[in-house]
Amino acid sequence: MKSAIKYFACLLLVMGATAVGEIVRLHLSPPNMVMLYLLAVVLAALRLGLRPAIVTAALGVLAFDFFFVPPRFSFTVQDKEYLITFFALFGVGLVISTLVSRFRQRTEELAEREAETAALYRLSRDIASAPDSSAVYSAIVHNAAECFQVEAALMIPIDGALQVVEKNGELEITAADIELAKWSFKSLRKAGHGSGSYSDSSAMTLPFVVMGECIAILILFTCERGAIAEKRLNRIVEGFAIQLKMALVRLELAQQAEAAQVVHAREKLERALLNSVSHDLRTPLATVTGVLTSLKEDGGHLSDRARLELLDTACSEAERLNRFVGNLLDMTRIEAGAVRLRLEPCDVQDLVGCAIGAVEQRLGNLRIDVKLADNLPLVMMDMVLMTQVLVNLLDNARKYAPLKSRVEISANADKNWLYLAVSDQGGGLPGKDLQHIFDKFYRVPIPEGAGGTGLGLSICKGLVEAHGGTVSAENLVTGGFRVCIELPLKEMEQQ
Amino acid sequence: MTADREPANLPRILIVDDESAIRRFLHTILNAEEFFLHEAETGHAALAAAAAFRPDVILLDLGLPDLDGIEVLKRIREWSQVPVIILSVRDREDDKVAALDAGADDYLSKPFGTGELLARIRAALRRSIQEVGEPVFSSGALEIDLNLRRVTVAGAEVQLTPTEYDILRYFVSHAGKVLTHSQILKQVWGLAYLEQPHVLRVNISNLRRKIESDPSRPKYIVTEPGVGYRLKLV
Repeated sequence: MKSAIKYFACLLLVMGATAVGEIVRLHLSPPNMVMLYLLAVVLAALRLGLRPAIVTAALGVLAFDFFFVPPRFSFTVQDKEYLITFFALFGVGLVISTLVSRFRQRTEELAEREAETAALYRLSRDIASAPDSSAVYSAIVHNAAECFQVEAALMIPIDGALQVVEKNGELEITAADIELAKWSFKSLRKAGHGSGSYSDSSAMTLPFVVMGECIAILILFTCERGAIAEKRLNRIVEGFAIQLKMALVRLELAQQAEAAQVVHAREKLERALLNSVSHDLRTPLATVTGVLTSLKEDGGHLSDRARLELLDTACSEAERLNRFVGNLLDMTRIEAGAVRLRLEPCDVQDLVGCAIGAVEQRLGNLRIDVKLADNLPLVMMDMVLMTQVLVNLLDNARKYAPLKSRVEISANADKNWLYLAVSDQGGGLPGKDLQHIFDKFYRVPIPEGAGGTGLGLSICKGLVEAHGGTVSAENLVTGGFRVCIELPLKEMEQQ
Repeated sequence: MTADREPANLPRILIVDDESAIRRFLHTILNAEEFFLHEAETGHAALAAAAAFRPDVILLDLGLPDLDGIEVLKRIREWSQVPVIILSVRDREDDKVAALDAGADDYLSKPFGTGELLARIRAALRRSIQEVGEPVFSSGALEIDLNLRRVTVAGAEVQLTPTEYDILRYFVSHAGKVLTHSQILKQVWGLAYLEQPHVLRVNISNLRRKIESDPSRPKYIVTEPGVGYRLKLV
């Protein structure tokens, strides 16, 4: 309320008291009229504040003297005793005003505190559900804007330089505002409109200081609005600063926990790798060494047939070793994110042919049927890596499918995808294995024990995903097991 | 290392590899097959030996301690067309392509089998001996008469488009040798088509459909993934 209106209201109150006094004048003696003016003072103190109440008391004394103290309608006083009444009226008015206005201030403060508590509560609730730092910043700005009913922005020191991380809507932040924020950041003091420094600015910058360190600058665009009570501002800023600090610490801890989990997973993987390497590298080496030493130390006891058999075993073990080393290299490359694709337009039939050619010699009596849709488009892919994918799938089928069964490679395409599938006539897999077969070093136990490295399918997954595709596995209703690959068809003009 | 005797009529092979185990192994298997061998451990030694020893075939490892294998190859190609077979490790398709484009005749990925190595050496020797090609080429059931521009599979004539025939003729003139995508593109379509690999894929696919009995298991035109194609001598 503007002060002129307040003082006009004082006048009205006194006039009201005088009017009521005029009505009851015949029934009351003049000293009792004082009560009416005291009532007006109380009302003024309650509604208008301390100063208007004092003014009301003074006006009351004058009106009482003028209207009711004989001789009426004159300021002269016949009975000098009334002077005491005047002093009493003014003195009591003064005391009542002070008490009432103090009470009123308390109530207002309480309401403010309550509003602040509510604002902090809302902020903490918003921050608690914030998944990342940008959500935290947004919560701070949003709540500050709501709390003070102004536009707001938040700046955070990132690598030593202050940057605006969040602001209200279309708010423009000028270079001058940023300079102001920098000053606040350095001096740890608030600046701008309504503060002691640079008060000609349209914005106010408030440093969030926690344990002597400025963690953020809140910018409030306060010029449209009156000044905000200093104490209130300080309390809210302090509360917000603590909330922000806690949220940032919480996010950092969560990040550390996540990193620790990644490290743990990697350590687990490394152990599996070491186990696998020592087993899968040594087993074929043991066979090869065994064969070589027995041939070297053979004193002519071995028959030609036995000798040939030994050599065959050594050869196939050496080949297995070579494949395993290749798998390890592929896996390492995928893990390190170092798969470099040499994309070229490839004929799917050519791809299938290369894969079959690579495994043909170790297929035994497994038959491969190729069912390719007509008019398959050329597909952008790394032919070497995709051949490796198919070779791994065929090797898998070879290991797990029954003898003399059939493996089918099929391919078709729609507008956006190429679908490749390799299915066998083996027994399929139990559900729990199916979930894990693309995990590294996951092996499905097979009775004969000619297990793989547990890398083949995870390499397939890594390579297909490097192409932007997906790979999935399923058991067939007809018995058997199928791995499906989907590769995106990219625009040919890219070439 | 110099040889103590120099038989005049044996094919001369220069082995360039810095791994002594590989050299020893090659020495053993190739001697048994009656070749006359010379070994070099470094690129510079290889260049010197290529001039002094006058090999008929060079087996060149790309990972040499002093000079890059491709550099050795380029320097040899400045004055000699001796067949060079690259020995390289798996997964280095870029190197293979670079070596072939720089004039290598063939490559073998380590580890390789003895039989394969001998076959490649023999093919390289055969190509260098018969510089003037026969007018009729045959591999298995496939027969190509370069004079009549006639292609038959098991006696039945196959109709090829002019481009398909050009590709096949280029393959025939380098039978058994890997030809990189860019070599074929350059030869058949010209330099302007180097960046158009899909025309090559489409034509190879069509050609296979016409001459292969099962295009998914090609017998004649085999793909070297990431490198190129090879017309196989069946």
